[in-house]
Amino acid sequence: MTYQKVRALLVLFALVLVPIFAINLMAQSSMPRIKFSERTLANGMRVLSAVDQSSPTVAIQVWYHVGSKDDPEQRSGFAHLFEHIMFKATRNMKSEMMDRLTEDVGGFNNAFTNPDVTVYYEVVPSNYLETLLWAEAERLSGLTVDEPNFKSERSVVQEEFRQGVLAPPYGMLDYLIEQQSFITHPYKRSTIGSIEDLDAATLENVRAFHSTFYRPDNATLVVIGDFDPKQFDAWVDKYFGILKKPALPLPRVTIKEPERTAERRITHYGSNVPLPAIALTYLTPPEKNPDAEPLRVAATILSQGESSRLYRALIYEQQVAQSADATPDLREDAGLFYFNLVLASGKKPEDGERALLAEIKKLRDALVSSAELDKAKNQLVTNELRQRETSNGKALALGSAAVLLGDPNRVNTDLSKLQAVTAADVQRVMKKYFTDANRLVIYYLPESAKPATTRSGGHEGEQALGGRK
Amino acid sequence: MKTSKRNNSLECGGQAPLWPTFANKAINLHRTSERQFDQSAAGPAHSKEAKLTIRSLTLLICLFTCGFVSGQAPAPQATPPPPATPRSVQFPKPLEKTLANGLRVIVIERRGTPLVAAQLIIRNGGEVDPPELAGLANMTADLLTKGTEKRTATQIAEAIEALGASLDSAARWDASRVSLNMMSSKLAPAMEIFSDVVRHPTFKEDEIERLRQQTLDDLTVELGDPGSIGRYVAARVVFGDAPYGQPLIGTPQTIARIAKQDLARFHHKYYRPDNAILVIGGEIKSADAFKLAQQYFGDWKKPSDPLPAVSPPKAPASAGPRVVVVDKPDAGQAAVAVARAGIDRADADYFRGIVTNSVLSGYSGRLNQEIRIKRGLSYGAGSTLDTRRNVGPFVASAQTKNTSAAQVASLLLEEVKRLASAPVPDIELNPRKAVVIGNFARNLETAAGLVSQIGSLALYGISFDEINRYITNVQGVTASDVQRFSGSRLDAKGINIVIVGNASDFLPELRKQFPTIEVIPAAELDLNTARLRKNPQG
Repeated sequence: MTYQKVRALLVLFALVLVPIFAINLMAQSSMPRIKFSERTLANGMRVLSAVDQSSPTVAIQVWYHVGSKDDPEQRSGFAHLFEHIMFKATRNMKSEMMDRLTEDVGGFNNAFTNPDVTVYYEVVPSNYLETLLWAEAERLSGLTVDEPNFKSERSVVQEEFRQGVLAPPYGMLDYLIEQQSFITHPYKRSTIGSIEDLDAATLENVRAFHSTFYRPDNATLVVIGDFDPKQFDAWVDKYFGILKKPALPLPRVTIKEPERTAERRITHYGSNVPLPAIALTYLTPPEKNPDAEPLRVAATILSQGESSRLYRALIYEQQVAQSADATPDLREDAGLFYFNLVLASGKKPEDGERALLAEIKKLRDALVSSAELDKAKNQLVTNELRQRETSNGKALALGSAAVLLGDPNRVNTDLSKLQAVTAADVQRVMKKYFTDANRLVIYYLPESAKPATTRSGGHEGEQALGGRK
Repeated sequence: MKTSKRNNSLECGGQAPLWPTFANKAINLHRTSERQFDQSAAGPAHSKEAKLTIRSLTLLICLFTCGFVSGQAPAPQATPPPPATPRSVQFPKPLEKTLANGLRVIVIERRGTPLVAAQLIIRNGGEVDPPELAGLANMTADLLTKGTEKRTATQIAEAIEALGASLDSAARWDASRVSLNMMSSKLAPAMEIFSDVVRHPTFKEDEIERLRQQTLDDLTVELGDPGSIGRYVAARVVFGDAPYGQPLIGTPQTIARIAKQDLARFHHKYYRPDNAILVIGGEIKSADAFKLAQQYFGDWKKPSDPLPAVSPPKAPASAGPRVVVVDKPDAGQAAVAVARAGIDRADADYFRGIVTNSVLSGYSGRLNQEIRIKRGLSYGAGSTLDTRRNVGPFVASAQTKNTSAAQVASLLLEEVKRLASAPVPDIELNPRKAVVIGNFARNLETAAGLVSQIGSLALYGISFDEINRYITNVQGVTASDVQRFSGSRLDAKGINIVIVGNASDFLPELRKQFPTIEVIPAAELDLNTARLRKNPQG
């Protein structure tokens, strides 16, 4: 049954049933389930696997439940720097040997760090699976990186900072959104850190970080692709099963971000700002919360595609913005939902702010139509399908459900939660979180716009920040 | 915020960017569920329906590396376990038909994920823009989705997005493309809109003015980025006033000049069935795909006037290599490139070229080894050999802190020279060939990737048999081929240097190596001509 036919039938049903019914039919027929196995080793390591023999390759991922929120004091950027160090030497591997085992056999590897997790992944011809399991166990059980390698990699990360934050025109705005949105929680430290904190990092920090967080009971192995499950289990026992679980408890961040009580405004003057920009950020619940799905639907309605509300109103009709995005950056401990606009030439930041607030208000004041709601769900389901076209993409979805949402089954069940989102849900979350008191406003302007009296650089209005670092 | 160890930049191929773009993809400052997972790529493509079987990819790869994994066999913990027996891999087979109106239709079936991608390729893009109207192909393509005889821009976006589909149109070098991607079940309704935007755009005045303003703003933002400026300047330096030298997006002056009749004329001249290729791939029955092609494009009339002649190959300007510095004092990092003319897609040296480039480029390529891994001077260094209908550019590049720009320029140059001066040892060359083969297979893995790769072969008139010969062709390249190719086709004597950054940080050092340097203040940069300066005296 096509989507159009379903919609034609809908008139016959009660309104509340409309979106649920339509999307259920659509998604059930199109989203293949990931049929995975799960087991936990005696040392606490979790193993998730799914056989997919459509190509003779295998995707291997190790998720460590440690991210930049766990950076040591005065060492912002450390979890990410550490991720880079994991490609250096271990007892039985030389520096960059992971590249020999992947790239050199036609595969690839990479890793990423975000505020909550660090994930290492490889895709290789499937006959190399055992080799890679050995290598991942090797770097979980110990690193032997030396001073020259450490310093050189630290310089690489500092170049990454320059390339991501300093060189592109709005890199610093992205940095500010992350840094300024949280007051208390360690999320206030950006994942990339700062040049100074990276300079202060030592090899001793590396050793301590590894023994604190890189342990089997803080790791989830995800393997999807072409393998024999029995043989795989035996390899996992052989290489990971022998690792010991440390006696010390795992430290967890317990700091809570306080609710915002009044709008806060910041103006930053940058040296390379081709067109002024603004950002609005709101705190929301974390991604495990049931409000996550309506928030994602709201973001899609607001900014995915040229029929989205922000594109249509701000870029197409009013021509006040060069770009406009709404991003649900829902994390483990606290959620962030932000908007960023680059203004069209000749427009003032106040124009952009006013237009954006009007769109937020509209979504708060009136229910979305069922057509608009269905459109957003179709877009979200298609995005998810595209992510799951590859084994590596499937493994990312599975690992994310297990580690960040706390239940691997959610890789298959969250779609029905998305289908169940109603227009009333969207309005409810808009009303609840998109309030004046919950708003941070950042104006990102060129140096030339700075009033003559405040030429000292950096932000204005730092007083309002209450002595933050 | 998500930060990656590295990004897997694609090498070579018809649509490669002039400058490696890892910066934009890998450093994704804000973590979002959409962006976080977008760089996935896995193994070789496969189709249960495939009729062609290729010799084992993994077997060949294993042969490359047996030396590494066998040999010593002490305790299992101390050495990596050797690979098991590899399995064979199959690539899907494209089927094709030419409709009565001359439209070439290619279909590739692949099961697994219920997605379909389609691309309508016009065989001309920015290379046919008149110099005074640079950006015309780009603006024409952008306007296709901004209104047709029966739909407004808003109606097109609404209808496509209601299906969860995406519809994009863009002009590049040698081609303009309209791309569609959606769930398989939505293909038929999306095809009707897809066909409408290709065939019946109206180029309304208000849409033209809106797009003009947006394009100017986009250009303003792009020119705030040292990497983007470097890309534009490198193209001018390599190709001079020839077509590939001008910015695809245009310049503020040429964008201002483009009028409705230019756009309509461009569309009439190039958007015609006998100048187009339609590729449909993914989870769809080939018979259904051909039927949809006939239904929505079969009555597309071929104009009576003859097809526009394809321009003869134009030799790039050969005024001698230049060293150009764009002085941008506020640059947070310097973008450094060495660039020269490379080869065209049909060149007999194509495979020698891509293997040579892979020795330099990729994570473990020589450029990244020397610049990032050994010296910590950059987040990533690499090169592209961008092969086009006519000779395309070869560019080796990296971004680095302003103070190390001169050092990075000489390292880039040194590595290009070193390739020609001594053969690459097999122990280094074989793994690089494995990288080329692995990337090729992964590029065919998603519906969109498959369609784009097949479309590129079709555009350049390359036989689909090349897919089957790909592994053998790559494997056949020898160390002496690489040395010969480097010496004759990438000769460092003809190489240009471009640096965009805060000149006072690196100029004294750079002058020690290169006595003749053109220093252009960013405010004086003029991309309209190869001279690159607004005021020739300035």
